[in-house]
Amino acid sequence: MLFSLRELVQWLGFATFEIFVHVLALLVFSVLLALRVDELAPGLSWWNVFVPFFAADGLSTYFTTIVSVRLFQDGEKRLAVLRLFWILTILSLKFVFEMLLCQKLVEQTRELWFGLIMSPVFILLQLLMIRACRVN
Amino acid sequence: MRMSLAQRVLLTWLFTLLFLIMLVLKLDEKAPWNWFLIFIPVWIFDTILLVMLIVKMAGRCKSGYNHRNGPRHMKRKVWYFIAMLLKLAFCLALCAKLEQFTNMNLSYVFIPLWALLVGAMTELGYNVFFARRD
Repeated sequence: MLFSLRELVQWLGFATFEIFVHVLALLVFSVLLALRVDELAPGLSWWNVFVPFFAADGLSTYFTTIVSVRLFQDGEKRLAVLRLFWILTILSLKFVFEMLLCQKLVEQTRELWFGLIMSPVFILLQLLMIRACRVN
Repeated sequence: MRMSLAQRVLLTWLFTLLFLIMLVLKLDEKAPWNWFLIFIPVWIFDTILLVMLIVKMAGRCKSGYNHRNGPRHMKRKVWYFIAMLLKLAFCLALCAKLEQFTNMNLSYVFIPLWALLVGAMTELGYNVFFARRD
């Protein structure tokens, strides 16, 4: 649409398969969220609703580790380290955001305000902007 | 005229940042605004995308355009157009639900989003599993 798939892969640093996994996680999450909010599945906790995102993060980390090891073995050491560092940064920021949001939904504490919960997303946005300048 | 990657990224970044700031203000109860107002950056961004898409589609329909690969490109543009409408429908339904204009279940609000995600996954899946292998 606004970006071609090639541009997205170049910009985000994720492989097409990883993007596919994250979109699938979003789809399953939205189904679980609807079930939880509409009270169609009474035993479903907020942690269970967020499981698809955690699973996608885990799969993506595993995939990135494998790709980086292969790149390292092929002699592309700089590329391997850079890729691993970038993806792990992105995934850890995403993971922290999901954990904080889930904790907020479970406990409903006022100490955990939404500005704080969203802070990893704001950092992520700045990093993506910087990377866009480098890629371009 | 085609926007460069940096321009497109800047456009996306700016509207996402604006939307997230307004969302945080609303969720932390610092801004007592209507949900439709919170979504203003989304409406503006979607309008820009829709206008760009319609202009591109109209350009392809003009006489004198080289129609090599035409039907495939046109199909893709039509899918993008439908995807934009689905996203717009989801955002509108979500705002209506949050403002309690309607008493419908969240499952109904999510139907356009699910259609959009299934379409996106089909396209991505095609690229992952069936597209060129070299």
